[in-house]
Amino acid sequence: MAITRVVPGTSSRPGPDAEPWQLSRRGFLRQAGALALALSPLGGRTAQGAGEDITFADGPRPLVKYPGKRPLILVTSRPPHLETPFSVFRDGVITPNDAFFVRWHLAGIPTRIDPQTYRLVVGGKVKTPLRLSLDDLKALPGQMELVAVNQCSGNSRGYFSPRVFGAQLGNGAMGNARWRGVSLRSVLEKAGVAAGAVQVTFNGSDTPVLPSTPDFRKALDIEHALSGEPMLAWAMNGEALPFLNGYPLKLIVPGWFGTYWVKQLVEIEVIDHPFSGHDAFFMTHAYRLPDNACTCVAPGTTPDRTRPISTLAVRSFITSVAAGDTLPTGRPLELKGIAFDGGSGIRVVEVSSDAGRTWRAATLGEDLGRFSFREWRLPVQFAQPGAAVLLCRATANDGAVQPMRATWNPAGYRRNVVERTPVTIS
Amino acid sequence: MKHKLRECVLVGVALAAMTALVVGEEIHLPQDVSRLRASPLPGYALAQQKCGICHSADYINYQPPGMNQQQWTAEVRKMQQSYGAPLDDADIARIGAYLAVTYGSARADDAAVVAASASPAAGARAAQAGSAIDVPALLGANACLTCHATDRKIVGPAFHAIAEKYRGKADAQSTVAASIRNGGVGKWGEVPMPPMSNLSEAQAMAVAAFVLRQ
Repeated sequence: MAITRVVPGTSSRPGPDAEPWQLSRRGFLRQAGALALALSPLGGRTAQGAGEDITFADGPRPLVKYPGKRPLILVTSRPPHLETPFSVFRDGVITPNDAFFVRWHLAGIPTRIDPQTYRLVVGGKVKTPLRLSLDDLKALPGQMELVAVNQCSGNSRGYFSPRVFGAQLGNGAMGNARWRGVSLRSVLEKAGVAAGAVQVTFNGSDTPVLPSTPDFRKALDIEHALSGEPMLAWAMNGEALPFLNGYPLKLIVPGWFGTYWVKQLVEIEVIDHPFSGHDAFFMTHAYRLPDNACTCVAPGTTPDRTRPISTLAVRSFITSVAAGDTLPTGRPLELKGIAFDGGSGIRVVEVSSDAGRTWRAATLGEDLGRFSFREWRLPVQFAQPGAAVLLCRATANDGAVQPMRATWNPAGYRRNVVERTPVTIS
Repeated sequence: MKHKLRECVLVGVALAAMTALVVGEEIHLPQDVSRLRASPLPGYALAQQKCGICHSADYINYQPPGMNQQQWTAEVRKMQQSYGAPLDDADIARIGAYLAVTYGSARADDAAVVAASASPAAGARAAQAGSAIDVPALLGANACLTCHATDRKIVGPAFHAIAEKYRGKADAQSTVAASIRNGGVGKWGEVPMPPMSNLSEAQAMAVAAFVLRQ
């Protein structure tokens, strides 16, 4: 029987007298109770992969091999959607290209691209429409390289309660890579943005099967597009982009959810109005959050107003320990993990082994930039055997902190609750 | 490719250039092997036929368990309203009922499932209209013309192209009829043709004869 993620019954504060790494008898009983409550009422089988303990109507998902990829967790085969097994994040803060998650929306995916004849078209409200080859892009000023997290809006959707329709992702629809390319600003400056520009739209070469299905296109406000942050990347971790991650050119929007990171980018259009119409569906109807401070509504309800999803919420994960692992008593060991946010950077990561009563700050690892995964480490030693739940909680430089209680929205986006990793100390 | 590589070595092209030759400019996606769970409900054949136009069955197979008929039906309606799936109201009700029973919390003998599954599908209505098989009605009811046209490729091949391919072949009609009922992939490219398993053999033969006359 699967153990699902534990949702805390109370949001407890650290007690002044609590002993951080010694689980009291009372604490043990409380944890045992929490685990019992957390047993899946549906009794479904677990997903394959490390800790992706989600139930599906059809049982666990297999690992599958796609071009340029190591075996990844199958989400859907047509169009392809593949999730990174969570154990990959234990290996380091840079996600290897062959392990990076894959997500396409439309089944009409070109499977052959000639980089010699490939052109990026820049048009709309510009002074000089452009048709740029990859070599043209590589010769422009504004060449840049940065490390940034690409996370799917629906990452962790499978843990929503009540459950929602959509790709039932575990926590592996994210990755962190070193992207190399040219700034979007540089390309737009070469074209010359005309007065009255409001937004910039982006279209990849993928197409819907039926003409009645909206194309997948995204839009950024002109100020954001010209900010110098978004870039057009042709390299990922020092190699050409994997085909399934958007070869030969991908829009990188640091700090923003992956839905904006348009793959196989072929068309940029500057427009003098907010993006609308049939092919604006993925801005105007999909990928939207409740338009309020928490971007949430009461579970099961519908928001009155919505807005497009935008920046990543602060998150952290333990990567050195998986749910259900057994850890030793009386021996020093090091907990390790990652944290990230939408671009302010990580201020602190705290870890608790007593359901959040007490917390200890971890040591942050090398800073690869404010859009990157930030590694954290914490030496611990468990004194008593028993069941325990490890928690980690990140606070970003902008003051945002992960909530103890999960928020809910109908599409299952932007989950960032404090993660709980149940383990056995023996 | 092998020959080319050998040439590269012979002319002393750098190893990096050879690597560039094999960098992913072309990929072959694995064939979709996911299948919907079989059911005696009429929505099963419809779901195979309509959902499979745009996405694999695992989109459905890996949804959360326990969703009810109202939720599943709303999800099917979203496919029609948001994504332009060729579904009418009866299709939506029948597919929603099938999905809710097969993957969710509904039971086949729920009154709402029975009601949703009872109204004959448009295809069946066309079949019952009389002894003569009405091919234009079948083409319309099964959304054939969403993907096919007489003289040009839309998603699938033009009827002209199919007629040309099979011209003069003795078993042309039965071959095309089988392709219609069973679906397939590979003969005309990588986009799969979903099975029109709700058609009778006689209906499929009539549609095949029509296509081959174009």
